[in-house]
Amino acid sequence: MTGLGTAVREFLLAFADDEHLMGQQHTEWIGVAPFLEEDLAFSSIAQDELGHAAALYAIVAGDGDPVDDDLRIDELAFRPSPGDWRSAHLVEVASGDWAHALVRHWLYDAAEQLRWEQVAQSSLAPLAEAAARAEREERYHRRHADGLLDVLLPVPDSGERLQTALADLLPLAVGLFDPVAGEVEAVANGVASAPFDTRLDEWTDRVRRRFDVDPSQIQPAPPTGRLERHPDFGPMLVRMREVMDLDPAAVW
Amino acid sequence: MRRYEVFLKKDGREEFRHAGSLDAPDDELALVLARESYARRAEGDRLWLVDREHVILGDPEFISPNADKPHRHNDGKAIAEHRRNVREGGS
Repeated sequence: MTGLGTAVREFLLAFADDEHLMGQQHTEWIGVAPFLEEDLAFSSIAQDELGHAAALYAIVAGDGDPVDDDLRIDELAFRPSPGDWRSAHLVEVASGDWAHALVRHWLYDAAEQLRWEQVAQSSLAPLAEAAARAEREERYHRRHADGLLDVLLPVPDSGERLQTALADLLPLAVGLFDPVAGEVEAVANGVASAPFDTRLDEWTDRVRRRFDVDPSQIQPAPPTGRLERHPDFGPMLVRMREVMDLDPAAVW
Repeated sequence: MRRYEVFLKKDGREEFRHAGSLDAPDDELALVLARESYARRAEGDRLWLVDREHVILGDPEFISPNADKPHRHNDGKAIAEHRRNVREGGS
């Protein structure tokens, strides 16, 4: 591999940023998840997502050859300018209640499985390895989200809250499948097997079976090319950079 | 919520040991949650989960009525003394 090139770099950054922010969002439930056992499980899932992000950033930081260098990974992971991020709105929106966080966890992980599959046979070997490792963890994530929904969807009160959260999140979730910068080149180079939106129908079908709702009836939010941040992104970035910004010159 | 008792062992080593308890809404989630609550640092690779409702309880009054039967708590001292007496009496 002779360097990633700008396009593939952009393609990988979009994936890494999604994983990073999904992990970050989940971590914000540490200590306040509905019960102790769930707190532990959800925190662990958050940690897995952050691990996936770190693996992707390490590939980008090393220009295709993963580096084990926290400083270079952090430089990518905590970009100060919101305009430099490539995350989807689904992972940027704030989750004020548990139903919202749970539905997003399910929607995101259903898409994440398909997204890793797109790079499981990648010409970029470290990416294929990251995909294999991620899938071992994602099996647990999906079982966790499904287990909770199995119990909570049939109960009138929690079922209603979950459906409300779903209606709120679906337009943003569909946006995960919007073409990202660099995807065309990534597919041409064999870094990914096909554009991600070729898996949208499969995901939609899963959503329909899970929630008994048809996502095609929901108007997707207008695509932003991942260049505009959701209004909730700013405050989150401030929280994420809180310690770093205390002393930007400090060496960690 | 149901309460489950968690038992763990390492594959091929020792016996199942009680690791603790767990609250979960059903068996499937109990398994999912037990993994993170009790086995996240590879404390064991075999797991038993028992719904506490299914545990057969022994009444302490019934199980342990023998506190007043010292002859069932032989610590060896009485026998040692008896043997010493026999030995000394016989010499």
